[in-house]
Amino acid sequence: MIHTDLLICGAGPAGLCAAIEAGAAGANVLVLERGHAPGGQLVKQTHMFFGSEKQYASYRGFDISDILLAQMKEMPNIKLVCNTTVLAAYSDDGIWTAEIAGQTPNDKPRYEKILPKAVIVATGASEKPLLFPGNDLPGVYGAGAVQTLMNQYGIKPASRVVMLGAGNIGLIVSYQLMQAGVDVLAVCDAAPHIGGYLVHASKLARMGVPIMTSHSVKRAEGDGKLDRVTLWELDENWQGIAGTEKVFAADALCVAVGLSPLSELLWQAGAEMLYVPALGGYVPYRDENLRTTIPSIFVAGDVAGVEEASSAMVTGRLAGLGAAQYLGYDVIALEAKKEDCLGQLQSLRHGHGGRILEGIQQASL
Amino acid sequence: MDKTLEKTGIPTTEQVESAFPPQERLDEGAVAIIECFQRIPCNPCATSCPRGAIVPFEDINDTPVIKNENCNGCTLCITKCPGLAIMVVDTTWKDPAGLDRALIKLPYEFRPLPAVGDEVIATDRAGAFVTKAEVVQVLLNHAMNKVPIVTIAVEKSLMRTVRGIHLDARQRAVVCRCNDLDEADIAAYIAGGATSIDELKRVTRLGMGPCQGRNCVPIVQGMLARTLGVPVAELSPGTYRPTVKSIALGDLAEYDSARDELGDGEK
Repeated sequence: MIHTDLLICGAGPAGLCAAIEAGAAGANVLVLERGHAPGGQLVKQTHMFFGSEKQYASYRGFDISDILLAQMKEMPNIKLVCNTTVLAAYSDDGIWTAEIAGQTPNDKPRYEKILPKAVIVATGASEKPLLFPGNDLPGVYGAGAVQTLMNQYGIKPASRVVMLGAGNIGLIVSYQLMQAGVDVLAVCDAAPHIGGYLVHASKLARMGVPIMTSHSVKRAEGDGKLDRVTLWELDENWQGIAGTEKVFAADALCVAVGLSPLSELLWQAGAEMLYVPALGGYVPYRDENLRTTIPSIFVAGDVAGVEEASSAMVTGRLAGLGAAQYLGYDVIALEAKKEDCLGQLQSLRHGHGGRILEGIQQASL
Repeated sequence: MDKTLEKTGIPTTEQVESAFPPQERLDEGAVAIIECFQRIPCNPCATSCPRGAIVPFEDINDTPVIKNENCNGCTLCITKCPGLAIMVVDTTWKDPAGLDRALIKLPYEFRPLPAVGDEVIATDRAGAFVTKAEVVQVLLNHAMNKVPIVTIAVEKSLMRTVRGIHLDARQRAVVCRCNDLDEADIAAYIAGGATSIDELKRVTRLGMGPCQGRNCVPIVQGMLARTLGVPVAELSPGTYRPTVKSIALGDLAEYDSARDELGDGEK
């Protein structure tokens, strides 16, 4: 059994920033990360970030990860363990369990019980699935999976790709595919408007990639693996229009239709949850300090509502400050830091037509 | 050579005709058609009918006799007949397409299941192509003994000829990779009365595989919301229990509570 002040589940942008703030206040922090390296999605973001200086705007994601890790290394009271999945939260006795992967795939995993005084759940989000005929053919990928193969493992995932989804992920991954020498045949989106930043869309458009709004996939086909994707136009009720089909000879179809918060641990712990479409699905009720309805459990990043990585870093800082305060640590200039974070969030969230702000409002205690 | 049931497995026109009720009964509504012509020791059709529409057997080898006036075409006997010898025909269906079609409800024990709206190939008792038919309903629930019932609409003139369906090679729309369930499977369970993720979990193991529902639950919630006409927010996402991924019981049994893998030795 391990005793710690603060357990942080996940070492992505939110978890790292939370650890840095709580660690700076003096708390003993244990950060558990499922992946083999910290940084979460940051490590595969090869593009420059938006936002302001405070969220490392103009830096590339993988560089931001290095900056945060360097800050964390300065603090001996923060312990980071990778290859370790937080498995469960038991609400009856406050114990959390984790699985530590073996060194090789043949080694048995090991298990550990943890009794933390406070927890920050920063598990992130997973890619949303899409239902269409042929969706299980090899060659149909989540866009995030393609980005991992390409930017993290250096594997060219395909030669000719159709991208489903013109949000920021679909646009950015399309662009990165082009950088990796992959042809992007089309980017389509069921919505009548491009959901992502228009500057990302323009980068693709000027390389000759058609962006087809009000279009979706009718079917994917192939003999044992994907070789044809049929798109069609949608009417105002999101129904496909017969006769508008266009067939693309593609060996990969990337699905980028949004993310869902990975909230299983919060359900297990008994936090009160709410379905908020603007935030990607079920999210916990939380107060300004990112504290859930369970006093010792805080949230940060996409699990609290899917936003950009820049917001995840700021919510991480807030949760770290809130948790340190809850644990009784004296946070120097606490109010000023909080004020600053809340101000940053306010401006970051204004960029999405108010939908995110409205969603956060709904889930606020 | 005589083309008898005994030689080919295909009942003769006269045998089929004998299984059908008179036209007046067909005009009144759905009714079961039982094509069971050989004395074998088997009686679930008679024992399962809650309306006594199949005359109780004196000998378990009796062949079934239908009291047409008692049968309401409920399809319960279809799911009990080990010989898949029963179908239900309804000539009183209000065809929304305005065509002169009857409904035929058939047991179909193959995967993938067709989906409502699909066009399938309707075959005769020899498996030969008769016509293309529209799938009107696909039903499956825990009470159906794992016998899905597929309802197709065919021209009334063909209702004595059609006795099976054949699917064109269909590209599946997969909902649950862990337990290999596609859209038609889930749609059939929803049509069969399932109204929640937890119910579907219990009958299909949906959400109980390695992904723990991350891939299937959002899709199924969308399907439930559309079919039941309620927003996703009003549906339960199901119960989340420890753990978030599959683990081996044996590994857990070896757990040593005095060990401290992650800490610094503090027990």
